[in-house]
Amino acid sequence: MTVITPTMIGQVVISGLLAGSLYAMVALGLGLIFGVMRVLNVAHGPILMLGAYVTFWLFSTVGLNPYLSLLVSMPLLFALGVLLQRTLVRRVVDAPELSSLLLTFGLSIAIVNLAQLGFTSDLRAVEFMTGSFVLGPFAFSKSRVIACLFAVAITTGAFLFLQKTRVGKAIRAVSQSREVAQVCGIDVQSIHMLAFGLASALAAAGGSLVAVMVAIQPEMGAIYTFKSFLVIVLGGAGNYPGALLGGLLLGLVEQLASLFLTTQVNEAVAYILLVVVLLVRPTGILGGRAS
Amino acid sequence: MKSRKNAIFTCAMAGAVLLVGVSAGLAHAQPIKVGASLSLTGTYAKPGQYQREGYELCAEEASARGGVLGKKVEFVVYDDQSTPATGVKLYERLITEDKVDAVMGPYSSPISEAVANVTEKYKKVMVAPLAATTSIFKRPPGKERRYIFMVVSPAEVYLEGLIDIAAKRGLKTVAILNEDTLFAKASAAGTADLAKKRGMQVVFQEAYPKGNTDFSAMLVKVKAANPDVVAASTYFDDAVAIVRQMKELNVNPKMLGVTVGGDLPEFYDLLKQNAEYIYGASQWETALPYPGQRDFVESYKRKFGREPAYHAAAGYGGCLVYLEAVKRAGSLESDKVRAELLRLEWKTAFGEYKVDQDGFQTAHKMVLFQWQDGKKVTVWPDDLAAGAKVRYPTPPWTQR
Repeated sequence: MTVITPTMIGQVVISGLLAGSLYAMVALGLGLIFGVMRVLNVAHGPILMLGAYVTFWLFSTVGLNPYLSLLVSMPLLFALGVLLQRTLVRRVVDAPELSSLLLTFGLSIAIVNLAQLGFTSDLRAVEFMTGSFVLGPFAFSKSRVIACLFAVAITTGAFLFLQKTRVGKAIRAVSQSREVAQVCGIDVQSIHMLAFGLASALAAAGGSLVAVMVAIQPEMGAIYTFKSFLVIVLGGAGNYPGALLGGLLLGLVEQLASLFLTTQVNEAVAYILLVVVLLVRPTGILGGRAS
Repeated sequence: MKSRKNAIFTCAMAGAVLLVGVSAGLAHAQPIKVGASLSLTGTYAKPGQYQREGYELCAEEASARGGVLGKKVEFVVYDDQSTPATGVKLYERLITEDKVDAVMGPYSSPISEAVANVTEKYKKVMVAPLAATTSIFKRPPGKERRYIFMVVSPAEVYLEGLIDIAAKRGLKTVAILNEDTLFAKASAAGTADLAKKRGMQVVFQEAYPKGNTDFSAMLVKVKAANPDVVAASTYFDDAVAIVRQMKELNVNPKMLGVTVGGDLPEFYDLLKQNAEYIYGASQWETALPYPGQRDFVESYKRKFGREPAYHAAAGYGGCLVYLEAVKRAGSLESDKVRAELLRLEWKTAFGEYKVDQDGFQTAHKMVLFQWQDGKKVTVWPDDLAAGAKVRYPTPPWTQR
């Protein structure tokens, strides 16, 4: 029907990479929890939603720049993450996987419903930056470019932290083998709390960044939980660079499927890709940790 | 197990029952009891409550004006928690246990669709003021419904005004986008038909899944198709996201219209000046020259402390239509009231009422408004627009 030109493909690739960088950051959090604790955190999306609300309230009450609100939303939800891990999640870390799924699923319903009670279901938005930077024939959405830059910076920071620092190395050690890490004198409990907090902070950053792009409401988080699952399975569960690759890939696939096929099928195409990856490389593209 | 379920059910009922009392002094006659289930909790809670307020006001005023058939009018309202299955149970209960004299419709198409089977079974007339899906009324042969009546305009004609204005201005091409759900699909299909009838060409049509947040690829294709008009069958989040991304990707149709969501004040709050020039469809607005409309808006504001939404007006208007048919029939008997409802041509504060033999609404008019300086200005149809001018064409994003 429509003739697809290289310019159109270029524009769509740009949009896909911009979206993918956000998916990667949010999914890295989910992957971190799974890698360290073998817990699938269904409440990851709802935590992202809370991050978006922090940005909204700060913007609408004191007019705080939404990007500066990252400085509030990330520590705040880091603390909430630590608290959740300490009070609830730690009870299911060694339990069968179904228990942890049930717990985080319940947690997710509770967070969403509390948000509906506390914030109401009214749609909110942060009207901060609209329009785009234009470069030749291509348009770069301002809010999405900035979100991408922050996502890249935050993700890089998280990586360096995991790769270079002692604590980061301890986190990776625990995710490789908890028993050996414990024998080496690593305090596994603290590492679990730290990982859950860090993951929640990554989700919060995602929330603060999407707050400027989409309508904010208590149920907005669910799709990010699903997309993050998809990303970490694509990239390889427990493999942190894999989450990055998976995120970018998902962003690209969604947009290219929308362009060449229709928007209606973009999710289907993403899931078909997942099935193919699982058939060809069951451990994900970069290979997950063998369990 | 069964008794426990019943106990829970009864308990829920006891908690939810709401007898809308009326104070007028027609104490000697038994009041006419009108039953309805409405979504007072759950996803449809807000519109469901508005609809209840419309019913309530209608009953109160009818009773104060001397009642119907010499009796007061009272509503018996239960909460269906926004689920069709609960609605079905509640209408069974209203008809068989509470033995109400009449019923009115619930909120939303899915629940109306489900409870219509109950009201048909007991041959009860049901005016369903907030069911806009054609398939509830237009049924395959042998499955026709005889006792359900429509009040609002159907999904298919939501953007009739947009197409009409475009065709009159000589625009030739339209791109249609819609969420992939029942109502939005019906409305997109209807818009495409209307456009073709007016000699316009549909150059692009695509659906997107519910919850989609990134429309760039779709809009890149729209931009390449370069349509004069973009018509989007939306809910709310999607309408906002589409407008934002159209700006980002510099997609510049001469007219942009959305179905649902564009009429909410939040639409402008979110988009600010970017909402200017955008057209939206609405079943009803507070400033239309319908008989009794000003009185309705005033008494509603006095009673509930805010402006009525169209859900309240539709509930109010639907209730008036039903009571009028009862008056004309001189009886509450289903078949007599049905005959009157089929014959009735009437105007309420909600607008025109007239149905065809299937109870399908044919007279109620949608209005098209345009956001102008932060206000919704009704620009179509001409007789309701009161001389308001369309701001046309929509300037490119770069020149605003």
